[in-house]
Amino acid sequence: MPTVVLMDVSLSMTRPVSLDSNEEFQRKNLAVHGLNMLFEHMASNYRLEFTALMAFSSLWELLVPFTRDYNALQEALSSLEDYDKTCIESALHGVSNVFQQEWGSTCACQVILVTDGSLGIGKGSLRHSLQTMKQRGEDKKFPLPFPFSTKMYIMCVASAEELQMTDALDNLEELLRLSGGDGQIFTVEGPLCMKSVHAMFGRLIDYAYSPFHAVLHCGNLSSDVQVFPRPEPVVVDEEVEPMPKTVNTEVDEVGAGATDDLDDEPSASQVAGKSPNFCVLLHGSLKVEGMVALVQLGPEWYGMLYSQADSKKKSNLMMSLFEPGSEPLPWLGKISQLGPISEAAENPYGEDDSKSPFPVQPQVKRSYAQNVTVWIKASGLQTDVQKILRNARKLPDKTQTFYKELNRLRKAALAFGFWELLKGVADLLERECTMLPDSAHPDAAFQLSHAAQQLKLASTGDSQYAAFDHNIAPMHTDFSS
Amino acid sequence: MSFGKMKMFSVSHKTVFVVDHCPYMAESSRQQVECDVLTKSRAQGVIPLAPVSKSLWTCAVECSMEYCRILYDVYPKDKLINYIVSDSEFHILNSWRQEDQSIQELMAALAAVGPPNPREDPECCSILHGLVSAVEALCKITELQHEKRTALMDTAERVANRGRIICLTNAKSDTHVRMLEDCIQETILEQNKLAAGSDRLMAIQQCELVLVHIYPQGEDTLVSDRPKKEISPLLTSEVHSVRAGRHLATKLNILVQQHFDLASTTITNIPMKEEQHANTSANYDVELLHHRDAHLEFFKSGDLHMAGTSTRENGLKETVTLKWCTPRTNVIELHYCTGAYRISPTDVNSRPSSCLTNFLLNGRSVLLELPKKSGSKVISHMLSSHGGEIFLHVLNSNRSTLEDPPSISEGCGGRVTDYRITDFGEFMRENRLTPVSENSHNPSGKLPFERAKSQLERYTRYWPMIISQTTIFNMQAVVPLANLIVKETLTEEDVLTCQKTVYNLVDMERKNDPLPISTVGSRGKGPKRDEQYRIMWNELETLVKTHAAATDRHQRVLDCIIACRSKPPEEEERKKRGRKREEREDRTEKNGNKEAEDKSWQESERLKSLLDKEDQESEVIKDSPDSPEPLNKKPRLMAEETQPQERAKGPVSLLTMWTNRITTANSRKHQEFAGRQSSVNNKFELYQHLKEENGMDVHENGKATR
Repeated sequence: MPTVVLMDVSLSMTRPVSLDSNEEFQRKNLAVHGLNMLFEHMASNYRLEFTALMAFSSLWELLVPFTRDYNALQEALSSLEDYDKTCIESALHGVSNVFQQEWGSTCACQVILVTDGSLGIGKGSLRHSLQTMKQRGEDKKFPLPFPFSTKMYIMCVASAEELQMTDALDNLEELLRLSGGDGQIFTVEGPLCMKSVHAMFGRLIDYAYSPFHAVLHCGNLSSDVQVFPRPEPVVVDEEVEPMPKTVNTEVDEVGAGATDDLDDEPSASQVAGKSPNFCVLLHGSLKVEGMVALVQLGPEWYGMLYSQADSKKKSNLMMSLFEPGSEPLPWLGKISQLGPISEAAENPYGEDDSKSPFPVQPQVKRSYAQNVTVWIKASGLQTDVQKILRNARKLPDKTQTFYKELNRLRKAALAFGFWELLKGVADLLERECTMLPDSAHPDAAFQLSHAAQQLKLASTGDSQYAAFDHNIAPMHTDFSS
Repeated sequence: MSFGKMKMFSVSHKTVFVVDHCPYMAESSRQQVECDVLTKSRAQGVIPLAPVSKSLWTCAVECSMEYCRILYDVYPKDKLINYIVSDSEFHILNSWRQEDQSIQELMAALAAVGPPNPREDPECCSILHGLVSAVEALCKITELQHEKRTALMDTAERVANRGRIICLTNAKSDTHVRMLEDCIQETILEQNKLAAGSDRLMAIQQCELVLVHIYPQGEDTLVSDRPKKEISPLLTSEVHSVRAGRHLATKLNILVQQHFDLASTTITNIPMKEEQHANTSANYDVELLHHRDAHLEFFKSGDLHMAGTSTRENGLKETVTLKWCTPRTNVIELHYCTGAYRISPTDVNSRPSSCLTNFLLNGRSVLLELPKKSGSKVISHMLSSHGGEIFLHVLNSNRSTLEDPPSISEGCGGRVTDYRITDFGEFMRENRLTPVSENSHNPSGKLPFERAKSQLERYTRYWPMIISQTTIFNMQAVVPLANLIVKETLTEEDVLTCQKTVYNLVDMERKNDPLPISTVGSRGKGPKRDEQYRIMWNELETLVKTHAAATDRHQRVLDCIIACRSKPPEEEERKKRGRKREEREDRTEKNGNKEAEDKSWQESERLKSLLDKEDQESEVIKDSPDSPEPLNKKPRLMAEETQPQERAKGPVSLLTMWTNRITTANSRKHQEFAGRQSSVNNKFELYQHLKEENGMDVHENGKATR
């Protein structure tokens, strides 16, 4: 989940922290201190996160595009300039554009808004934006919610008293709610000073940037792993299962399966020597064998592990999370019903690995795999009738196909209550019979009139002849044997 | 992976079709179908067959079947249909049960009903019978509702009961429609009271009535369209007035999309051989329906208009056009896939549709390209089948947050080079999974996947990860035993095979065959032959011990090893026992210190568990006089341990090997001090020449220099 740091560089950020103490810091210095602390943390513990730095006042500027180079980010912080007034709305438009251009709209985003809680005055102020947001046209919509899912962290570099004097917190809460509500507003505890801002960023780190540590087990073999990006909790169904599912930190490898399929929401799971490590062994073997391993992440929550190589010959162990549920991939069947091959009478993969028990076939075939009859369009019906006639002209060679097509049509006509069609096709077959050339096999005439007669009987709806499961069988003639 | 989500128990969980089977439905739709298409050569003198026309009933049935077909293709489970036919009474054609949910079942039931009887007394017939029965059906609990209610126990009330009634009828007037709505409202209230006192029934919380009034072509409608309105908090109703025939088909196609969050994609530029001219090919389009989340990226980014969306002739439906990219063969391209969605072709048995679906069902994949104004190509989707089902896969065309991941070799254990990669590959292959029928019962009562986990546990009880940590797993001769001992149960024959393996090893030892002992770090040829065998036997014993408790037969294999293996003289053994005790005490002391030093809680927890293991190992050692040294030593814990001189005969620890190796390597790099070279017992007298000059004898330290 890439991070956008949105730093307020309006003039109000240059206010001294306190008039009566001897600290000579500006609010901006405190904010920069906090961010530096965050970047240092990320550089050592969360270094795969992409972070961008944007500064805003009434305008916004992308200072550092998305990067893992935390030195660059810190350097940019050290050379911030001061500008005019705060305008959060335009800055959020900026975030939306910058983020979508880089990551599209299916990737989730974390926004860290650093501000002093003075949210602008008059037009362009947050208060004004929120008051007018309902009266706007499509083209001037308020940028929240973003088209991508968002976690918004608002860092207020202001003392509690200051915030209480204005409606700033109310407005920020509204902002958080509009963003989708998934985030938090952080305020300093106690007086505004270096220490309290430090603590506030510490809370942000614990909340959103703590590395995800887990243990990967495979029987008695195990390994400590760090998973990145952090697997986020998932709400399966708000109504039936409103509690979000979280990934257990004890991850069980269930077994290996030779599927070469999908990678989804992959999370690079990487481990931080020289003593042998199970992850490295597993990775090596998965890579050599071209296999994936199934992992259990929690009750009825699974994922898979595989070796992922980028173009530069570097490879790592990747974990893809499946959607929580007992049957996350239909072609694997229910995960709880996957058992060891040693129990099978014969190896379902074949002695030479030539077979596979996967994919599991669905019990009922999909319509496109089972030759269904649809006559919604006239052409569908015409094609089916023509198929019968084409085969009728090639009797007795095409007897089997002729009856197969005939029975298919018969079944559909009976189901749709389309008896008129049965009569019509019977008439057509009778006509074909009269038009048979002299050279025709005598069997053709017998079959055609037999088929026509059977269709006519079916069209009466007489239960003896119109049963759905009944098939018209070829007439047994002396010629046919 | 996302397959498109809806709330589990939204109104879409239960759909009741109520289709009018009253005499007036036998009327013709007046839409004629020419089914006698004569070819030119045969046209002379033949009077073509009069066109056939479908009845209102036939139109209603085939369009409702099409609705069901699309639904079942996209949601094979948990989106259920109950089909009811109404004339002088109601006929329920299927149930909510999963096995009743198929086109075949419904077609067979419809055939049994047959078309409406035009001669039946219209006074006795009404759609109301069906509608009342539909409300009753909605109160019936489905398998999924039951399962979830049972699973949730205390919070069973979270399982909602909502549903939709799609009524296909020919209504008399708007007043008639209102009467039907009122009647449904009343029935819901009545049924809800009944449901309150029953386990198998649930009160309806929300019902959506979709009334489709069907009238023949060329007539004016007597019923007006009406958008969805709330009749009561329990019931909403909407009315669609539609001409029979293709209008009805289009209407139900739109409804199924609305009801089940579907969207349409048209694959364009599909090259296909002409039926008549096999050497030419023309380009075709095929329309597919799928969950609308497959278009999420377009919707969100506003790219939809760029993506060649077109509003079609009916003005109601949109489709996104994606271009076919001719698949390159033999290129395995892995793409970041963010979701896979089942599809259903709109026109399932048209030739282009069936060509495309067959191509995919045969295992081919097709990449789909999003045409952009700039002319640049973006591959946005992929069509591919898994197990007879076709999925539209959404590919991530943006930058990935996973780019440039660190290499695993940079991490923990990344520098170790002698992992048993091939052996673990074999291990994985033995532990592969396979679907087990839900009907098959296992005596253990455990689920198949729990059994797979127990197998993993057994197979990994003793599994050294690197080659230099093991002898037995580098020996072909041990394979039969190693493969069998991990089994849950052994046959008499298995025991015999294991015993033969042991005898074979004894034989090898007698013949003094060499063993594949790692000589890394040890000077010269490594340990002596008899020492090698001791190492081997110890390891074998360790392996078998971890399984001995399983069954008597496992124990017999261990007994055989203990009985057959070479034994060092008793004297040495006694000494050893004493030494081991000392060592153990020593170790615990050290470990204790280590633990105290450790600040991180997690780290200490992990250490503890390691210690426990180690202690168990030493426990085992105490019980058997001639037991192995713990081979699987954790170098970290043993780091400070100094090797007593005499122990050179015992199995060499990794540290010793390493130290020895470093020492040897270092010694080659510089010339040894002359003094050290000529030392006696590591002592060398300095300034000997002074003594000599003083005229004293220099014998003590061996060689005199002059």
